[in-house]
Amino acid sequence: MIVLVVLVLVGPLAGSAAAACGARARQAGWAAAAGAAVTLTAAVWLLVALLHRTPLRGLGGFLYLDTLSCFFLLTVAGVTLLASVGSVAYLSAEEDAGRLSTFQVRLYFIFFGIFASLMLASLETGNLGLLFVLIEASTLASAALVGLEGKASSLEAAWKYVIISSFGVTIALAGTLFLFYSASKLHLAPDLRLTWPYLFLHAHSLAPASLRLAFLLAVVGYGTKVGLAPMHTWLPDAHAEAPSPASAMLSAALLNTGMYAIIRFLAIARAGLGGSFPRGVLLAFGFLSIVIGVLFMVRRGNFKRLFAYSSVEHMGIIAVALGFGGILGLYGALLHTLNHAIAKSVLFLNSGDIAQRGKTREAAGVRGLLAAVPLTGGALLLGSFAVLGSPPFGLFLSELTIVRAGFAGSSPVFPLLLLALLAIAFVAFARTTTGMATGEPSLAPSPYRGRWSGVAAVAPSAAGLAALLVLGLWIPAGLDTVIRHSLAVLS
Amino acid sequence: MQSLSATSLPGVLLDLAGVVILLLAFACLGSKLFNRYVAYYGAQSVVLSFAAGVAAYAFHSVELWILAGATLAIKGIAIPVAARRLLVRRLQLKRDAALSTGLSTSLIAGGALTAFAYLVTGPRLLPHGLVAAAVVPLSTAVILLGGLAMVVRRHTVAQLVGWLIVENGVFLGAITLAATFPFIVEAGVFLDLVAGVLIMLVFVSGLTRELASASAADLRELHG
Repeated sequence: MIVLVVLVLVGPLAGSAAAACGARARQAGWAAAAGAAVTLTAAVWLLVALLHRTPLRGLGGFLYLDTLSCFFLLTVAGVTLLASVGSVAYLSAEEDAGRLSTFQVRLYFIFFGIFASLMLASLETGNLGLLFVLIEASTLASAALVGLEGKASSLEAAWKYVIISSFGVTIALAGTLFLFYSASKLHLAPDLRLTWPYLFLHAHSLAPASLRLAFLLAVVGYGTKVGLAPMHTWLPDAHAEAPSPASAMLSAALLNTGMYAIIRFLAIARAGLGGSFPRGVLLAFGFLSIVIGVLFMVRRGNFKRLFAYSSVEHMGIIAVALGFGGILGLYGALLHTLNHAIAKSVLFLNSGDIAQRGKTREAAGVRGLLAAVPLTGGALLLGSFAVLGSPPFGLFLSELTIVRAGFAGSSPVFPLLLLALLAIAFVAFARTTTGMATGEPSLAPSPYRGRWSGVAAVAPSAAGLAALLVLGLWIPAGLDTVIRHSLAVLS
Repeated sequence: MQSLSATSLPGVLLDLAGVVILLLAFACLGSKLFNRYVAYYGAQSVVLSFAAGVAAYAFHSVELWILAGATLAIKGIAIPVAARRLLVRRLQLKRDAALSTGLSTSLIAGGALTAFAYLVTGPRLLPHGLVAAAVVPLSTAVILLGGLAMVVRRHTVAQLVGWLIVENGVFLGAITLAATFPFIVEAGVFLDLVAGVLIMLVFVSGLTRELASASAADLRELHG
């Protein structure tokens, strides 16, 4: 077991090691992909091994793995694999075109690996203090990716990202302190105090006033990382300025890691305070995020910004689902996390491909993708319909589950509002992406040298779309069991 | 071991240190000159390391002595000196005129935030038997004041120092839990802080190169 836990963490570092030894983009990228494949295999193995066993504990509570953590490990590992393969194509094209120096490429792969490894590590700990430390460290590693291009705009985005996120996560640390205060009535071994399973087990004897404050601060703090409005302001800048595979990592892995932290706090708050306070907090932040995301999606402009605002919207949907609660709500939230992660990886990797071909990140500058490069254009269209929740893709099922959870609750107003907002999002988003896919094509030569780079540009999108299609048609029995076991951890 | 009553000498010293730290946060908020702003931050960190030393003495904790020493060396001396060198010598900045509100407005807002901190974290909120419970509202107030400094200041380095004030506030709160807070976590927080400062300084110098100024007021290419 311990071997697997370690393997998950060191897998992504393969690309870093290769880059540090002086490999070029192509070799470092394939090394990263191989490492990510190892990580994914180890994560699946861990998940299967832990499914019918008690959670794995060790190192005085610093190591803690249950089905829920394994579910998120699986998501992040999958995204890392897709993004690593995408990095091969994107970074080698950038390197060949001379837009990034060898040094920058090397930095990219070094920080990419560290970033992935830190996120995976933060999912493997049961200590809430260490969770903060690792999430903050992953912020710093990813800030280097955002600022990689070194232009004024990317430095501005990186600065905003690092200062807003660091501040936010520090607020979450204050929340963790208050959780600690609320537990000061319990007298047990010191090293148990800040561990999640212990606090969850004793949630009913935590001081409620302090616990309430702790939960609120944690949602605001980690919500900054998740991109919940109004703490989302760093998100569109960082996603638009980072190299596309790094944007995929931010949107599909980092946001989920933040959401994981919120879910852990939510479970304690629900057990200690009852449902209504956490529900109110999550619904408020969730709906605000959806509204902000949808409003900014109406604007036409940089297509990576469009995808980023769609992430704000989807994180809002997940928060709303967590707020609805119940088995259905939590089930929908977890399923949606997985679906959104895959769909956003597809879209952001695809956006890298488009930006390479079109030499622009403005939606108005891209036309006729379907005719010029059918694979890229098709992936863009299918990916955007998938992310908008149209059948037969996975997000349709998860959004349906979430709406059903809403109707199962007390008031039908919330699910109806959610449906209306989803409809507006559909129109706003599809308007831009269909415009990019159709129309008179402007031909540009392929930016990729060598057959395998071209394959690496399209393969992750194809694989992701296939997975989304499968998840939309039927939920594999194994996944269903995993989600149900994860829910059992939380209640 | 667990509790440190408010009337014992270490308890009184911790409370006193908390009050001085809050006053120094106000001093940061109210100083227009860059070197004073940074110097007050340094002084605050020195007092913080004193508070950590008091807690280390009271709890007989070797780890806390280490943290107190690291706080003194890095937050109290290294960061203020580096920030001064960067700002005053390299960027030739003496005065941070770029405040988004008037000085008096920001001080009044700071007073309101302090009152708010006391309202929110009143004694009712905190369970009995907490170590030096008076420190908790003080640390909350310092966190809020640091946030205010980040909002009001326009220069990137001044915002960075604002974030460091927030960290000082959190650290002050953590000291009261010293007996039970795992050392690895505190050390990790410290490492994050150092790494954060380094990476932010890289960005600041990059921005200085690209924009010929590192004022956040000039960061307006990205919006919407």
